[in-house]
Amino acid sequence: MGFHMNSKENKKMKIAFILIAISIFVSFVISICVGKYPITLHDIKDLMLGNSINEMSRKVFFALRLPRVIMTLIAGFGLGLAGSVYQTIFRNPLASPDIIGVASGANLGAAVAIICLGNQINLVAGSAFIGGLMAVYAVTLLVHVTQNNSTATYVLAGIVISSLSQSIIMVLKFFADPESELAAIEFWSMGSFGSVTDTKLQVVLPIILLGIIVVILFRRQISLLALNEDESRMLGVRVTLIRIIVLSFTTLVVACIVSVTGLIAFIGLIAPHIGKLILQRQNFATCIFSAFVGSLIMILADCLARTLYSTELPISILTTFLGVPFLIYFMNHKKEERI
Amino acid sequence: MSQLLDIDHIRVSYGEKNIISDINFSVEGGEFCALLGLNGSGKTTLLRAVCGLLKEEKGRITVAGKCLSPMNEYQRAKLLSYIPQRSSDMNGVTVLDVVLMGLNPHLRLLETPSQKQREQAVRLLDRAGLSGYENHDFDKISGGQKQLAIFARALLQDAPVMLMDEPDSALDFVNRNIVLSRIKNAVHEKKKAGLITLHEPNFALAYCDRLLLMKSGTIVGDIKLKDASNEEIKQGLSLIYGNVDLLEHKGKRLIVAC
Repeated sequence: MGFHMNSKENKKMKIAFILIAISIFVSFVISICVGKYPITLHDIKDLMLGNSINEMSRKVFFALRLPRVIMTLIAGFGLGLAGSVYQTIFRNPLASPDIIGVASGANLGAAVAIICLGNQINLVAGSAFIGGLMAVYAVTLLVHVTQNNSTATYVLAGIVISSLSQSIIMVLKFFADPESELAAIEFWSMGSFGSVTDTKLQVVLPIILLGIIVVILFRRQISLLALNEDESRMLGVRVTLIRIIVLSFTTLVVACIVSVTGLIAFIGLIAPHIGKLILQRQNFATCIFSAFVGSLIMILADCLARTLYSTELPISILTTFLGVPFLIYFMNHKKEERI
Repeated sequence: MSQLLDIDHIRVSYGEKNIISDINFSVEGGEFCALLGLNGSGKTTLLRAVCGLLKEEKGRITVAGKCLSPMNEYQRAKLLSYIPQRSSDMNGVTVLDVVLMGLNPHLRLLETPSQKQREQAVRLLDRAGLSGYENHDFDKISGGQKQLAIFARALLQDAPVMLMDEPDSALDFVNRNIVLSRIKNAVHEKKKAGLITLHEPNFALAYCDRLLLMKSGTIVGDIKLKDASNEEIKQGLSLIYGNVDLLEHKGKRLIVAC
């Protein structure tokens, strides 16, 4: 009987993966079409078939729209995957990419570039990337110094470094020119896909994909890290080493994403929970599923960001407004299933 | 007889209180050895030191002549397997996947188990009494079945030394007997060196070959049950448990407080 139940659960999981793949595909196509310069389904069909289309549409499609939608897809995937992996290896349901300081470090890096390096868009991205990596390096250094290599120390050290970055950002904001610099810092910390272009995508995409592939290759080790620390050590997992490797590559993914988009709230925290609630389990398949959930929410959020108002809205507003109802719905759904 | 596990005059401290000093004993292949002692006697500290989870300050621990302290976790897991009191929560992991975790020390970092290894894991599950359970959710089977699955995982890990930290403590009477007798049989058949901490001396008398009695961080008694007289056993156990009597019933010995 149990075997039967399990094959039913496997089937349920397959259906969930198929449904989310279809939803992502549909929202991907919609996302290509909508925006200030609309592209029609007909244009896309012509492009696919190699027919010639209006030069303007072609330019918008290749230089702006396609890179942008690919970036939303990958950003949602990367943040969802990173959040889910963190929740697994830190055994903490509140873990998200920010818990090890990467987001606030990137925010600090961006703020420094905006104020000291004159708000050039590429410098801001580079500085944010370095800030994110340095924050995580500071966290691991702090854990090393305290010589207490437990998951709780990582979480605590992450909070310390995040708070420190936040207060330095406050200092910078205090001295910033309110008209230009302060506005730029605030805008950066709300995130946007508006500045994504094909050239930027070509720089960050290989690094993000590398990080994602390494995380997927380490899936067996990630599942082992989810055990109590003593138990995984006794199964031969070199806990400290593996944790640093997984942490480094997920950080690379998150730092690359936010350096281009600015901070994106909530996805890294909420996508793993939605994934877990839908699949009703927590293993590596859930991590991948959560990454897809992240992609879906991000594409939908970006569609709305471009269409709701005459100017583009910051993405974080929409990821939060979209994520919360999803989460509430699935929390209720789960309750019913239990009864 | 070969001495598989050799603990050579070790001293370990763990916090201020749990200090063990000058512990010295060996366990041979096929010997199932119980560590008995009250709470705070140091038996868990000793077991954790053998596991390599605590560093010894003095002395050395060797398995089949190889010193453990310079090894990393991966190398150590080839020599030692471990059954904890209670395994971690593993929601949505199948019983088979839990057993396959035992292969980690035999796989390269990014390697995944082969079909042949999966079949071997299923056979070990059958032998542990969990036939047909391989695709069940680990979190949804009973406590006794979980410990049997963890036991199958330790068998798949196939290390010469098996360490167990009160693996029976969360189980009911029937399951305790099942788990302990399966562990005993495996230790005997596969000539493992088995070292187990136990709270309940009667289970040690029923299943183990040898009792190591711990008090205040040292070993105060070492009894090989086959050769020991009832009087010797009684005297040894009373060092730990106070005034006890040893009864014999159908060839089985058990102690009661008096």
